[in-house]
Amino acid sequence: MHFWQDPQFGNKMITLMAALVLVLQIMMVTQRWLITNIRAFALQSFLLACIANTIAYYNNAPHIYAAAALMLLVKAILLPIVFVRLVTKIEIRQEIEPVVNAPISVIVTGLLTLLAYVIAESLHRPDEPLGPASLGHNTLAVAIALFLIGFFMMVNRRKALTQVLALLSLENGIFLAAISLTYGMPMIVEVGIFFDVLVAGMVLAILVYRIRETFDSTDVSQLSHLKG
Amino acid sequence: MILFVLLSIPLLACCLAVLARTRRWMETIHLVSAAGSLIAALFLVAQVLRQGSVSQTNGFLYADALSALVALLTAFVYLACAPYAIGYLRRDEVDGTLAVAGDYDGLLRRLRMFYSLMPLFCFCMFLVVVANNLGVMWIAIEGTTLASIFLVTFYGRPNSLEAAWKYAMIGGVGLSMALFGTVLTYYSAHQVMGTDSLSALNWSVLALQAPHFDKTVMRLAFILILLGYGTKAGLAPMHTWKPDAYCEAPVPVGALMSTAVLNCAVYGLARYYVLTVGCLGPAFASNLLILFGLLSVGVAVPFIMVQRSSRRLLAYSSIDHGGIMVLGLGFGGMLGVLGMLLHMTYHTAIKPLLFLAVGNVQQHTGNDALRRGASGLVHVLPISAPLFLLGALAVTGTPPFGMFQSEFMVLRAGFAAQHLGLSILFVICVVMIFCGFFSHVAQLVLGPPSGAPREFGSHWKTYPVIGLALVVIVMGFWLPAPLYQLIERAAHIVEVHP
Repeated sequence: MHFWQDPQFGNKMITLMAALVLVLQIMMVTQRWLITNIRAFALQSFLLACIANTIAYYNNAPHIYAAAALMLLVKAILLPIVFVRLVTKIEIRQEIEPVVNAPISVIVTGLLTLLAYVIAESLHRPDEPLGPASLGHNTLAVAIALFLIGFFMMVNRRKALTQVLALLSLENGIFLAAISLTYGMPMIVEVGIFFDVLVAGMVLAILVYRIRETFDSTDVSQLSHLKG
Repeated sequence: MILFVLLSIPLLACCLAVLARTRRWMETIHLVSAAGSLIAALFLVAQVLRQGSVSQTNGFLYADALSALVALLTAFVYLACAPYAIGYLRRDEVDGTLAVAGDYDGLLRRLRMFYSLMPLFCFCMFLVVVANNLGVMWIAIEGTTLASIFLVTFYGRPNSLEAAWKYAMIGGVGLSMALFGTVLTYYSAHQVMGTDSLSALNWSVLALQAPHFDKTVMRLAFILILLGYGTKAGLAPMHTWKPDAYCEAPVPVGALMSTAVLNCAVYGLARYYVLTVGCLGPAFASNLLILFGLLSVGVAVPFIMVQRSSRRLLAYSSIDHGGIMVLGLGFGGMLGVLGMLLHMTYHTAIKPLLFLAVGNVQQHTGNDALRRGASGLVHVLPISAPLFLLGALAVTGTPPFGMFQSEFMVLRAGFAAQHLGLSILFVICVVMIFCGFFSHVAQLVLGPPSGAPREFGSHWKTYPVIGLALVVIVMGFWLPAPLYQLIERAAHIVEVHP
């Protein structure tokens, strides 16, 4: 038997990749350049596709391959290309201006990760043969952490495009939760969700473009005329 | 068969509108699609009343009385708005708000966008109610947001971009929470149902197995679902996108969003309510629903009292009524659920009347300001203005209009469920909303004439308002027996424990 056929090895790989995903998310919170942010998002999506592939391989769940392929296509390739083209077209390569500065952001992120572990612990069922027990509930904790940090990023950003990235990385957390909890959603639901994500990415990109054209900036704190 | 027809009519209309070359074609397709949808919805209702439930393609599409009711209401608003939209856009063209004068291609592009997105929007709403799979239902609800973003930015003003941005972001966050809730529901059920089969997320199957779900997970799932679909329904404190989107979108779209989309979101909540009550007993879900419902009604009060724009006034009224529906669901019991569904029905008839009347007022006076600017509109808009007043009376729950009955029913459910203090609070809020709303509208319609020229408006814009007013008046006194039967059956689906 080759060493990679050992399920233990698979588990370790999944945990390693999940940890990398979390690191990338924290990196997205702290780093300052928009293009890097998009690349980090693409890499994160790529890693998630790898995790999905690994789970599919070790658990004989062929339908996860399809989810992984969709992940790779939509979130790791198509949407990053669209966003990079958007950034070059509207020429906003300048820095992201977070509301809270980097050190405090890291502390908040750490607290959110801690919270995620607490939540994941409450969902942990050691006696159950299927689900998070078989994957190590680390993965679920990472998924919840992605979700929470995604929220934090949304409120911590002023640039329109970075809010879109935060929203998409938040959705990455849900994807990870779905594959680690139940080996993904039913096939048709998975396809539908990716279709929605793709359309949402495009629609939001167009919206960002039009905001830039109209307001001459993508700073969403300028969008505050409607009140009452 | 009927479910396919219901879905394919608006989808086909969307495709045809993209291909259409002249405005007349787009308008014809639009009207035919709306009329066809209503006919299909009526057939669906008839079939559901005969058979109890309709399902197709191995239970992928499924409609029971609750779905049929919401589909009927959606189709009704769609048809009411269809002819109005034609008159409204023609008037916009004359006013020059759509495109630069003489730029026929630009105008046609705008119109094509409107006439193709509107049916797509309705298609998504029909899919919400006939999808049995809770995942597909989520996809369809997200679809309604995506289809309507560019309807909100239709005029391309800076303010409409801002409104659309808020709508997309708040809606996106909300719906991602709902997606997480859906995943968790699937997880809590998968020990009972097994994974990797499509039917494991089918509501009709899940509802039977609900007592065996994992309780901790289901609790978390319901909270996420409530936050998620509550955002879509515009419950406080996630309501902030609503006034902006309603007042920037074209009036027919605003009318659809404030009634049909609200209904779809409440429908989603009701579906999960059944699962949660089945799994955890009624107390947990009820308390949360009452909290959010009462908060929404309460938040609407101050904003309605001091409101300066009539479109935003309607939006806050819609937040208030969404709250009342959720409150009815939360109070529970046959009475509360019946009150919620009746309220949904009456609200769907009355709110479009107000929106369309306000649209006429706005296009005539050029703005939607309250208190300053226009007053005494009854002298200049002899049809729309009095009907606006009538709608205002109806929407604030004045007898003899239906909403009095449904609000009273929700109140009785509150007393029956021993929520004495909360029920009294609810009554106080409703009375204050009545005062605020009515004083604004009365000033606008009845005050001293401001000297604008008298106008009757085009037939396209007048007759839908008259028709809706007739429906509202008739429904105050007489609810057709089949419709009441449908509502009652839907209530039995939501409230399984009598």
